[in-house]
Amino acid sequence: MRWLRSLFSRLGEIFGKRRREQEFSAEMESHLQMHIEDNLRTGMSPPEARRQALMKLGGMEQTRENYRERRGLPLLETFLRDMRFAFRVLRKNLGFTFVVVLTLALGIGANTAIFSVLESQLWRPLPFPDSERLMDVHTVLHDNRRQWDVMPNSIYRAWSEQNHVFASLGAYNYPSHRNFAAGGTSERVVVMPLTASVFKTLDVPLERGRIFLPEEEKTGGDHVAILGNELWRTRLASDADIIGKPISMDGESYVVVGIAPARLRFEFLPEPQIYVPIAMDPTAKLGRGLYVIGRLGSGVTAESARAELDGILQRQLQAEGVKSEDVAAVTNLRVTWTEFSARSLYFFAGAILLVLLIACVNNAGLLLARGMSRRREFALRATLGASRATLIRQSFAESLLLAFAGGAAGTLLGIWGSGAFAVFWNEDTLPRHTETSLDMRVLLFVLGLSIFSSLLMGVLPALFSSRVDVNETLRKGASGLSASRSQHRTRNLLIAVEVSLALALLFGTGLFLSSFVREQQAPRGFDAPGALTFRISLRGEKYAQADQQRRYFRSLTDQIRGLPGVQDVAFGSGVPLADSNLFDSVAVAGQPLLHKHGTGVVVYAVDPGYFDVLHMRMLAGRKIDSSDTAASPRVAIVNRNATHTLFGGEDPMGKVLEFVADERRDVPAEAPVQIIGIAENTQEFGPIEVPFDVIYVPFSQHPDPTGTVVVSANLPRGALLGAIRDAAYTLDKDQPLFDIKTVDQLIGESMRGSRFDLILVGCLAVVALALVSVGIFGTVAYFVQQRTQEFGIRLALGATPIRILRSAISRALVAGALGLLFGVGASLALGRILGSTLYLVPHEHGGMLYGVSIYDPLSMSLACILLLAVLVLASFVPARRAMRVDPMVALRYE
Amino acid sequence: MGDKAGDKKDVWQGTLALMVLKTLQAMGPLHGYGIARRIEQTSGDLLAVNYGTLYPALLKLEQEGYISSEWGVSDNNRKAKYYKLTRAGRKQLNKEEREWEQTTAILARFLAPGEERS
Repeated sequence: MRWLRSLFSRLGEIFGKRRREQEFSAEMESHLQMHIEDNLRTGMSPPEARRQALMKLGGMEQTRENYRERRGLPLLETFLRDMRFAFRVLRKNLGFTFVVVLTLALGIGANTAIFSVLESQLWRPLPFPDSERLMDVHTVLHDNRRQWDVMPNSIYRAWSEQNHVFASLGAYNYPSHRNFAAGGTSERVVVMPLTASVFKTLDVPLERGRIFLPEEEKTGGDHVAILGNELWRTRLASDADIIGKPISMDGESYVVVGIAPARLRFEFLPEPQIYVPIAMDPTAKLGRGLYVIGRLGSGVTAESARAELDGILQRQLQAEGVKSEDVAAVTNLRVTWTEFSARSLYFFAGAILLVLLIACVNNAGLLLARGMSRRREFALRATLGASRATLIRQSFAESLLLAFAGGAAGTLLGIWGSGAFAVFWNEDTLPRHTETSLDMRVLLFVLGLSIFSSLLMGVLPALFSSRVDVNETLRKGASGLSASRSQHRTRNLLIAVEVSLALALLFGTGLFLSSFVREQQAPRGFDAPGALTFRISLRGEKYAQADQQRRYFRSLTDQIRGLPGVQDVAFGSGVPLADSNLFDSVAVAGQPLLHKHGTGVVVYAVDPGYFDVLHMRMLAGRKIDSSDTAASPRVAIVNRNATHTLFGGEDPMGKVLEFVADERRDVPAEAPVQIIGIAENTQEFGPIEVPFDVIYVPFSQHPDPTGTVVVSANLPRGALLGAIRDAAYTLDKDQPLFDIKTVDQLIGESMRGSRFDLILVGCLAVVALALVSVGIFGTVAYFVQQRTQEFGIRLALGATPIRILRSAISRALVAGALGLLFGVGASLALGRILGSTLYLVPHEHGGMLYGVSIYDPLSMSLACILLLAVLVLASFVPARRAMRVDPMVALRYE
Repeated sequence: MGDKAGDKKDVWQGTLALMVLKTLQAMGPLHGYGIARRIEQTSGDLLAVNYGTLYPALLKLEQEGYISSEWGVSDNNRKAKYYKLTRAGRKQLNKEEREWEQTTAILARFLAPGEERS
C-alpha cells in the first residue's frame, strides 16, 4: 500500500506549488553554501570553491527538473493545465461552444433517456431477494413455440412433488375480476388465484397474518383470502383487526387470513388486489391454465432443472395417456416477463444511437473547420516548442471538455426525457411498473458516452490541426490559406456519413408513417361511430344458471332500448378490439383434426342486433336472428378467414362444426353447430395481426355470465351513461358496469402503440434533420469564408455570381449526394437484416409495421427528396454570401 | 554516459535509498548535504553521490513515509532541511538490510572459488 500513500502525498503536493518550489530552492541554496564552506576549509579559493560545488551539484536546473518530476503528479498537472487552457479557448468562442454542446446534449440526452428506460425495464433485477434464481417454468411445443394458458393442474402437481432442483415451486392463474362488496357499494377488483408457495418462491414475507394452509388449497376448502396491500390500506384503512374477519366477493363470504406485502407486483399482469387459493377458483375454465414459477436450488443450473422437469413431464403425460409433443422449458423469470417489449426497446435504442452518431460526426466537422482557422495559432505554438503530441493532447482536451459539458446537459435532458417516455409509453408497451431513475449505472453510461463522443469527434480534428507546416502557415497567415485536399476530402466524407445516417432515420420514419396511415385506412370489418360499449360480469348465486344470465341481459337491453334518445342496442360476449375475446377449439364434422387439439378459434356469442349495430358485413347466408333460441337447432356464422382455414376455401354453408374437448382440461365439449352464414373479417386486436378465425354463435344458445353491451344513441355521452347506469342499477345494484368506452376509443387505443412508435421515430428524424442542416450550413459557410478573397478576385475579373455560387456549393452537394446513395444502400441492407428479427413485418399480432414493405419505394424517395431539399437549402443560404462578395473588400483582406 | 547511465541509475537508486536510510539511522537527523558527504566518506570516496538523484530519492522516501523532514539550524548557524527516520523507515531499513545480506550472501557463494561445484 506504499504506492497508495505516496500517491496521496503526491496528489497533495499539486497544491501550494509555489511555496514548495521556494522551499526546494532554499534547500539547494543551503546545500550549495555548506559545500562551498567545506571547499573553502580545504583551502580552495572562493571562486574555485563555488565552481566545484556547482559542478558537483550537477546543474541546478537539471536537479530541479528531476525533483519536480518526482514531486506531485506531472501527468495530472499537464492534464489540468490542458483543461484550463481548453476552457479559456471555448469561453472565448461561446457561439461555437453552444452549438457543439447543444448538439451533443441532444444526442447524449436521448441516449440517457432510452438507457434509463432499458435499465428499469429490462435489466433491473425483479424486486425479490436473489431474484436471478427465479425461473419461469412452462411447456413449449417441439418447435419451441410457447404455449400460453395450457398448463394443467396435474403437471404442476407432478413437478412440485417430484422435482429435486427447485427450492420452491409456485403456480398462479391469470388474474380475473370479481365484485367486492365493501361499505355498501360494490366494486370490481382484480383477484389472483395462487398457491401459497408463490409467496415462498418469491421469498416475500406477508405484511400480516399467514399464507394459505395445505387444506385450504383443496377444492371445497375454506373460503380464505389474502388482501393486497394497497386495497387493505385504501379501502380498509389499514385495519389490523381485519384478519380473521369475513369479506364478501361475488356474494360469497371469504375469511381474511393475511395481508400481502407492499409492492408485490407480477409486473406485466394487472396488479392483484386480492389473492385466493388456487384450487377453489370457480371461474377457472377453458383458457385459464396455470403459470408456474420456481426458485432454483443452490448450485442448480436452469438447464439441469429443465432436464429433470422434462423427465417428470414425459412420465406424467404417459401415465395420463396423453399423446403430446410438449417439452418442459425453464427460463429466467425477469427475461420472460420483459421479453415481449425488449425488441421494440432495442430497436428504438438503436435509432437513438444513430442520432448520437450524427451529432458526433456533425461536431467533428465543426471542430475540423475550427481547427483549420486556428492553424496559425497551432503553428505559432509549434515554433515555440510544442510537440505534436502536445498539440494533439490540447485538441483532445477541448473535445473532452465539450463532451463533458454535453454529457452534463444531456443528463438533464435525459432525466426530463425518460419522464416524457413514461408519459407516452403506455402500460401495453412497457411491461414493468418500475420507475426510471438516475442511478450509478446511468451516470456511468453517460460518462462512457461522453468519452466515446469526445474520441469520435476529436480524433480527426486533432490529427489534422497538429500536422502543421510551420513555415508555410506563418508566412501566409491563416486567411491566405486554403485547406488542403485531404482536409476537404475528410470534411466531405463527414457530410456524406452524416447524410447517410440521417437518411436511415428518415426512411424509418417514412416506414412508420405510411404504416400508420395504412393502419388507419385498414378495413376493420365493423364500425359504430359514437356508439358506447360497456361490460357487465354477473356474479353470485342469483346468476348461476344459464337461464338467469339470459334473462338478466335480455331485460337490461330491453330497458336501455326504451331510454329516450337511444337508437339501437346490441349485445354479445365481447366486441372486437376490446380484448374481450373467448377462445375455443373446433373441428369440421366428418373430417380428421387439422391440429392435435382442433383448430383454435375466437368465439363471439351474440344477440340478433349485433351485426347491424356494429355494421358488420355478411358475405353469405343469414345473420343470427330472433328465431335462434335456446330450443332451436344450434347454428353458427364463420368469418371469411375461417372458411379458408377450416374448409380450405370450399363452401362451408350447411356444414357442421364440432367443439373439441381438451382431454387435459376438465371441460366438456359443447354440442355441434351448423353453419348458416359467412361474415367479413374483423380486426381482433388491431391492424397489425394475422387475421383470426372467428365464429359467431347465438347468445341464447351459448350464454355466459360476462357480456358487452353496445349502445348507439344521439345523446351526449354523460347523459346517456347516467341513464344506462340508473337502468342497470334498478335491475340489480350489485352488478357494476366496467370498461366503459366508445367504439372510437377502442379504435384509438388499438392504434396507440403505433402512434407512439411514429411520434418517437418522427422526433428522432426531426432532430437528425436539424443536426444535418446545421452541419452542412457550417461546412459551406466556413468554405465560403475561407475563399472570400478568391471569390472577390473572380468577381472582379468578371465571373458571374451564378458561377461563384455553383463553385461554392458544388462540393457539399456532391458529398451529400454520395451520402444519399450510400444511405439508400445501407438502409435497405439494414432493413433486410433487421426486418424479421425486429418484427418489422406483421407477426401474429405483435409486429411494428403494417402493410408496408421494408423496401417501400415511396418512403425511400420521400426521404431522399426531403434530405436533398435540406441539403440544397442549408448550403444555399451561406453560399449566397459568396455571390455578394464585394471585390474591393475581399481584396483588402490581404 | 547515455543509455548505460540510465541502466545503472535504477540499481543505484535502489541502493541509494538503503544507504540514505542506514545513514540516517547511524547519524540521526541530517541534511541532504550531510547525507551525501557521509555516504561518500563511508564508501571511502569510491562513490560519488549525484545530487540530481539524491534529492528526488529523498522526496520519494518522504512520500512513502519512511523519512520525515523539518527545517533546522546547522552547526555553523545555517538554515537547512533535516531528514530523520520514521518508525516505518526503521522497519523498512531492517527489512532491506536483511534482504541485502541475503542477496550478497548468495552472490558471494557464486563468486567464491568453486570447490563445491565439482
